[in-house]
Amino acid sequence: MVQGGRLGSQVFPLLPFFAFTGYFLIWPVLAVTLRSLRGNDGEWTLSNYTPLLHGSYLHAFITSIKLSLVTSIIGSLLGALFAYVVVRYAKGRFGAVLDSISAVFANSGGVPLAFMFIAAFGTEGLVTRVLKTLGWDIYAGHFTIFSFTGVVMVYSFFQIPLMFLVFKPAIAGLRKEWMEASTNLGATQVTYWRRVAIPMLMPSFIGAFFLLFAGGFSAYATARALTVGTVPLVPIIIGTLVDVNVVSDQQNLGDALAVGMIIVAGIAMVGYVWAQKRAAKWRQS
Amino acid sequence: MRKQFIIGVVAAALAAASLVATSSVSTAAGTDFSKCQNLKACGGMDALVKAAQKEGKLNVITLPRDWANYGEAMDLFSKAFGIKITDDNPDGSSAYEIQTVKTAPASKVPDAVDVGITYGLDNTNLFTPYKVANWADITSDYKDPAGRWYGDYAGVMALSYDTSIPKAPKAFSDLKDPAYKNMLAIGGDPSGAQEALMSVFAATVASGGTADSVQPGIDWFKSLKTSGNFVTALANGQNFLAGAYKVSFSWSFNGPGAVTTAAKAGKTVKYIIPTDAVIKGTPYVMAIPFNAPHPAAARLWTEFLYSQNNGKTSMTVGSTKGMTGSKIFSSIMGGQNIWILGGALPITFDAMVAKKTNVTAPEGYGIPKGVKVITPTVAQQDAAKTLLKAQWPAIAGN
Repeated sequence: MVQGGRLGSQVFPLLPFFAFTGYFLIWPVLAVTLRSLRGNDGEWTLSNYTPLLHGSYLHAFITSIKLSLVTSIIGSLLGALFAYVVVRYAKGRFGAVLDSISAVFANSGGVPLAFMFIAAFGTEGLVTRVLKTLGWDIYAGHFTIFSFTGVVMVYSFFQIPLMFLVFKPAIAGLRKEWMEASTNLGATQVTYWRRVAIPMLMPSFIGAFFLLFAGGFSAYATARALTVGTVPLVPIIIGTLVDVNVVSDQQNLGDALAVGMIIVAGIAMVGYVWAQKRAAKWRQS
Repeated sequence: MRKQFIIGVVAAALAAASLVATSSVSTAAGTDFSKCQNLKACGGMDALVKAAQKEGKLNVITLPRDWANYGEAMDLFSKAFGIKITDDNPDGSSAYEIQTVKTAPASKVPDAVDVGITYGLDNTNLFTPYKVANWADITSDYKDPAGRWYGDYAGVMALSYDTSIPKAPKAFSDLKDPAYKNMLAIGGDPSGAQEALMSVFAATVASGGTADSVQPGIDWFKSLKTSGNFVTALANGQNFLAGAYKVSFSWSFNGPGAVTTAAKAGKTVKYIIPTDAVIKGTPYVMAIPFNAPHPAAARLWTEFLYSQNNGKTSMTVGSTKGMTGSKIFSSIMGGQNIWILGGALPITFDAMVAKKTNVTAPEGYGIPKGVKVITPTVAQQDAAKTLLKAQWPAIAGN
């Protein structure tokens, strides 16, 4: 009785959480996976997966992974640098203000973010015009906001502050004593960074990198609002397959692409969890 | 997902309402409006209007007010017959319409759908046969012999541009001029979006090709991308107002609406139908789902949309109290002419011209005389999509 009661009191408060994840995460994943294994007439098949291995669908996976890699590399490097500078030099209230601003930027996305960039960096954008009056026409060459480069720019807008938020605690966790101790033992600044700080920060950095990768990989609306199929990302292709006016009955191929995305995101998440564990181990000892 | 959840939650609350709706299917006269397949079988116009007014409501779906003049059609229908129209998700897609027919609770099912032709062909089992009074005037290529779906209107590829640009384009081929650097956009990914697909057909024909292969059109866009004239921005109202592009390939039937919207924001847009390629789209199709919750209103709406009358508009229609159904119906403008005023080509257009029942299209929206009008077939469109899927993503480079 006592045992059962305790179990109940542990599980009961979590029921809403289970219901939520069950309905919004586990059930959709199962449903998508099952549908991806069925043909248009409901028969079991693996044929939905064959198009993923070549041609335009494979190209979409490569583009998606490339975009996520580029933006998470830019985001993690600049975000980490930004976090270091802030921890080191911005104390007190100013630091708190930067945290809040970053939280807002890190969570911006979708069509409004894309539109913001169009309004700023579009052909007639505000920034474009200001730069033009200063003598630099950014549209003179091949640059356009409606391209892979443009999407990278827009993604960096949320990736950098996200990295800042996620990585800042790790930098703040570097204790002054360690630096003093290594200096006392005759280490130079460079040696301290190379032998102490960077190895300490590495697991957190890699973990944050995976998080950024997964976020960039799954973003959809921003890229869709900026391009017309010219940056073929997997989620955009799924959208075209599932919800358009022209092609019908290709929903199951969309499901197969979605499962492919779940697998890639899953790998990134495993990397994230692994890195987090390593980081926690450091902090404990 | 969330939408389904909400639908689930409200389903219970709506169950009662749907019972009421179903029970009103049969009238005292004994006509089953969910089964009658033409106006005569439904007991004539007076009886149909009476039954529709008794239902009092009409569910439509994904009809943007500025799309093919649907705002006027809905306003006029609502005012003249006193039937309240609910337009679910005005900016949704054909796929959404079909999904809703399949999954919505009984009272939320649309009474009529307006979908891309492939959606009509693939879902005949969802629709109930009904042949409008003007059935014979509908081009036979675009109607189901059984009457489960039928073409309604089509668009022509127009060139729309901001009149503030230094050089007004006259033809699609003009756009190669360096004067149009950073100006041209299209409405989406041509392997998916119909308007964008037809843009590629227009470019193909304008550069001397035929609808059999859109390769010349793809090459045309590629060269314009290289020269910087083609910006890969999405052509929609918002991006236009932000100045992301100045010229785009657009469906004629979005013209009048777009011109009004742009004017409100202080921009002047002009639509022209160039003569170097006249591409007429495959018509959209209309259908009544067999489980339409307001079967009489659904049939009346369909009759109204296929009517060739030239009568009162939503602005001029007065009180129709005490008038018989057939009197009201014949006093108002029919959908076919409402579409013409919206820059669209209604499906019975040829018959209307022969009978002289058509109103004059707004200036600039008429099809240029003496030019070959091309409508890419479904097979040609499929071939184009296959080609585009392979080549389009690469035309942008990085």
